[in-house]
Amino acid sequence: MDIQEAFEVLNQQGWKLLVQHLKLVGISLSLSIIIALVLGISVTRYPFNKWMPQIVSFLNAAQGVPSLAVVAIFLPIMGVGVLPAIVALTLYGLLPIARNTIAGIEGIDPDILEAAKGMGMPSRDVFWKVELPLALPVIIAGIQTSAVLIVGTAIIADLIGAGGLGRLIFTGINHYKPFITLLGSLMAAGIAIILDQGIGFIQRRLTSAYRD
Amino acid sequence: MFIIDFFLDIANYFIKHIDKISTYTFEHFVLIIIAIILSLVIWLTVGIAIRNNLGLAKGVLGIGSFIMSVPSIALYGILVSVPGFGLSRRSAVFGLILYAMLPIVRNVYVSLNQVDENVMEAAKGMGLSTRQVLFKVQLPLAMPVILAGIRVALVMMVGIATLAVYIGERNLGSLIQQGIVRTYDDMIIVGAILVSVMAFLVDYIMGKVQKAIVSPGLITDTTDSSTSKREVA
Repeated sequence: MDIQEAFEVLNQQGWKLLVQHLKLVGISLSLSIIIALVLGISVTRYPFNKWMPQIVSFLNAAQGVPSLAVVAIFLPIMGVGVLPAIVALTLYGLLPIARNTIAGIEGIDPDILEAAKGMGMPSRDVFWKVELPLALPVIIAGIQTSAVLIVGTAIIADLIGAGGLGRLIFTGINHYKPFITLLGSLMAAGIAIILDQGIGFIQRRLTSAYRD
Repeated sequence: MFIIDFFLDIANYFIKHIDKISTYTFEHFVLIIIAIILSLVIWLTVGIAIRNNLGLAKGVLGIGSFIMSVPSIALYGILVSVPGFGLSRRSAVFGLILYAMLPIVRNVYVSLNQVDENVMEAAKGMGLSTRQVLFKVQLPLAMPVILAGIRVALVMMVGIATLAVYIGERNLGSLIQQGIVRTYDDMIIVGAILVSVMAFLVDYIMGKVQKAIVSPGLITDTTDSSTSKREVA
């Protein structure tokens, strides 16, 4: 009976909510990647690198803020809906990417940079041909962390009216329909695992290419 | 004026409901303490048990990172539908223990294996048994990395514990949950701030503990795997 009902719910709204969830994740993740890359890279450049230690410790500290708090704080500020959810998800998701971008670029052996400059590379080329490729595996690891984080936080974003799979999970919990909760949870877990494994695969491919 | 009113409202809420807030904070701590004690007992044992077995370690760490990529509220959703768990503290604690698996087991395994071969050889040469080598040489040397793992696990637990309010716990997350349901902004903000402060505090205290426990000679190479560490809340 319960299982049947769950499948009915799946047929009626399940796929719609799944697509909604994927949209939320897709938009927020893309925005996070773009903003975090620009932010992370500019922090390692000349006028901003003075504040690097402060920025890095801020990013580390901000990472400790629980996801429920991040989502909830946007309700009083921006109200209910998809937009505040996307803003919250984007801000939360850009932390690991920005941190890894900075760490990846900072972690490059200074001798390599010196060699590149010594060969007469303009700083633009040093960035595109040396720094970015070498930092890429670390940056992608950050994107992987962020993707998983955003999938999970997008569930919670339903609390401020974003829709998505969180609706199934919270409806199930509130009405005590464990199968509906299970359904939503399994779908969300599936998305997270697929994204995690997929990005991990890309990262391994890129890393091994540099090792050869 | 608006800003001042805003802060006054928040302070007002805080003072008015200080009883409820302190109960919630206490409950939050209790849940985390139970979870971290059980996690330490289980995952330290597991980490030590797999230290010399590469194949097994790969399997265990694979399971750990698999669990880590499951969103926490989804894991709770799955747990409450398992008969025997349901809406109870058992589910909340069990979920937290599962999330602590990767940071603790991985750091124990990695740090035990990082101990210098020569040091181990010297210890054995002096007649120490395998057990003594483990407790008197390997573990003290591995301590900084193990503590770093515990620190990550604890900070994560503070965040995930807030989500346990949806499966029947009552803690600082309740302020946020009820605030959202009642569209009571002050309540949400107080909850969000307190939870964040708690996460920072736990991180700060663990940093101090790390400094106090770890032998001074090891301080310089506190290997913090922060660039690759993965956390999900």
